[in-house]
Amino acid sequence: MNVTSNVEQLLTQKLAGEVWPPLADRHGYRVDPNGDAFFLPGMGGVTLDVHCGDPATGYRSDHLEPGLSVRHREQGPNYALQYLTCIGNSVEVSSGPQKGASGFVIGQHAYVLVDMAGDEMRGVTTGDQVTITAVGQGLALTDHPEIVVKNCSPALLSAMPGGTTTGGQLEVHVSAIIPPEAIGAGAGMASEYANTDLMGAYAGLDENLSLGLESLRIGDVVAMVDQDHRFGRGYREGWTSIGVISTGSCLLFGHGPGPSTIMSGPTSSFKIVEDESANLSFFNLVQHRELS
Amino acid sequence: MTSAKLVSVNLLAFVDQGEVGNDPYRIDRDGNPYVAVGDGGVVLGLRLGDSVFGHVGDHAAPGACVIHPNDDARHAVVGLSCIGNRAILRTGDAAGKEGVVFGKRGGGERVIVVFPQDVLKRLRPSDQVAIMSRGQGAEAPVAGITQMNITPEALALLPVRTADEQLQVGVRVELSSRTVGNGIGRPMAMWDVDLQVDSTTEGVSELRLGDLVAITDLDARTNAGFRKDWLSIGVVTHGTSPQPGHGPGVTIVLSGPAKHFLVRSEVATHQGLREETLLSRAK
Repeated sequence: MNVTSNVEQLLTQKLAGEVWPPLADRHGYRVDPNGDAFFLPGMGGVTLDVHCGDPATGYRSDHLEPGLSVRHREQGPNYALQYLTCIGNSVEVSSGPQKGASGFVIGQHAYVLVDMAGDEMRGVTTGDQVTITAVGQGLALTDHPEIVVKNCSPALLSAMPGGTTTGGQLEVHVSAIIPPEAIGAGAGMASEYANTDLMGAYAGLDENLSLGLESLRIGDVVAMVDQDHRFGRGYREGWTSIGVISTGSCLLFGHGPGPSTIMSGPTSSFKIVEDESANLSFFNLVQHRELS
Repeated sequence: MTSAKLVSVNLLAFVDQGEVGNDPYRIDRDGNPYVAVGDGGVVLGLRLGDSVFGHVGDHAAPGACVIHPNDDARHAVVGLSCIGNRAILRTGDAAGKEGVVFGKRGGGERVIVVFPQDVLKRLRPSDQVAIMSRGQGAEAPVAGITQMNITPEALALLPVRTADEQLQVGVRVELSSRTVGNGIGRPMAMWDVDLQVDSTTEGVSELRLGDLVAITDLDARTNAGFRKDWLSIGVVTHGTSPQPGHGPGVTIVLSGPAKHFLVRSEVATHQGLREETLLSRAK
């Protein structure tokens, strides 16, 4: 992105995390939009064969978390991990047979989510340690002080198309525009934590549930209309938030594929350009690692 | 329509103190810090019929919030308690006095109980309250609609009437599902939904505690979520909040396809749950 920022002022921290197991309770089932019970994989562990650029929906899954789901065992250090980690940060596997393998952060979902090459990911499992090189919180755009940036690594900012226009707006390329009716669970929560579930993406279910969001992909950059996520996630006319889709298929009602927020500001400060290539898979984030 | 009997269960709950973290500040939607007042606990001077915007508070509910210290038991207390249930104080200065369940809030966290003001003044956090819970599973007056969180007797106190196989409902305002914030995607037997509105939102300036509101395109039978041409009705049970994504709280009581409802917006004249009527039912 062609934009001036304070990147040279940012600090980098090394953070430890651990691949966390999927969790269930003894009753197992949850309830879908039609009241039917389901028990499906998705959250926690290492979820294979879903990477950036792949469809977000169309799986028999709930709260699909692509790749590694990472947290820290202790509450305080875990919040440090969840809040300070940014999309595009580099990740290294620090224990187990895949020690030394590398990947990058695609978002948060109460876990930090990590994508890496599929053949290397197959050797990673619950309990494996990872090390995250966290940088990005505090990032600010010099010529756009009204836009708050968060959860966005310098690598991601650098790789995104667009930038400051001659008219002074920030041009951001997005794969999809999200109407405010789609905002589900995550509303009212801190926008440095987890993500915003989008409703209206229940592929294959009733038509009256659809908001036309069934074709989202993991890693898509999206624009959320009438959302102010500067200090938490809220509905606010005239504001726009930019996010990256980090989770996929959901059957739990009121939930769905979710963007982690990276920018939020007045709608008039953005020039939104619809562009199918606005997806992390086109950004070569592994090659940009030296910046993060 | 078959009509199975409802089961009543006596529950034990405790008057809540409310909690504040080790940092006194929360952040409002403009990024300014504030100290939250009235978020749980015993709140004096806030009454049914008061404006949801009339006090400096954060999620302030009228009366007393009651909780249970064990998480699982607390979820049951919140899930099973219904608007209109009797709540009898068992300990403390006001032992023997009664209140009535008015709503629920948070993630299976708190039941809101209204008491006469002279009783409320004598409450102390940790006082024991017995709630005679009854109402979950009650059938709605019209087939195709799901009823929850309210006893049939309390529903009869509201402007809700059956006519021509539809439910006629008088509400203060009808709002779009896009205004639903915190609580969306959560089970409605446990949570309320916050409305992301302020006093400048059209039709909302007169919103009062105890009002009914209608929310369009919201299916709230289990979790609350977007479903086109559905409608949900709820009782406004707590006041507004400065936090982004939060606002006046609604305990959902009815949900179904919009075609089963005939909603009448009564922006200036609406009369929802009245304190004196609700409390008289406990006697």
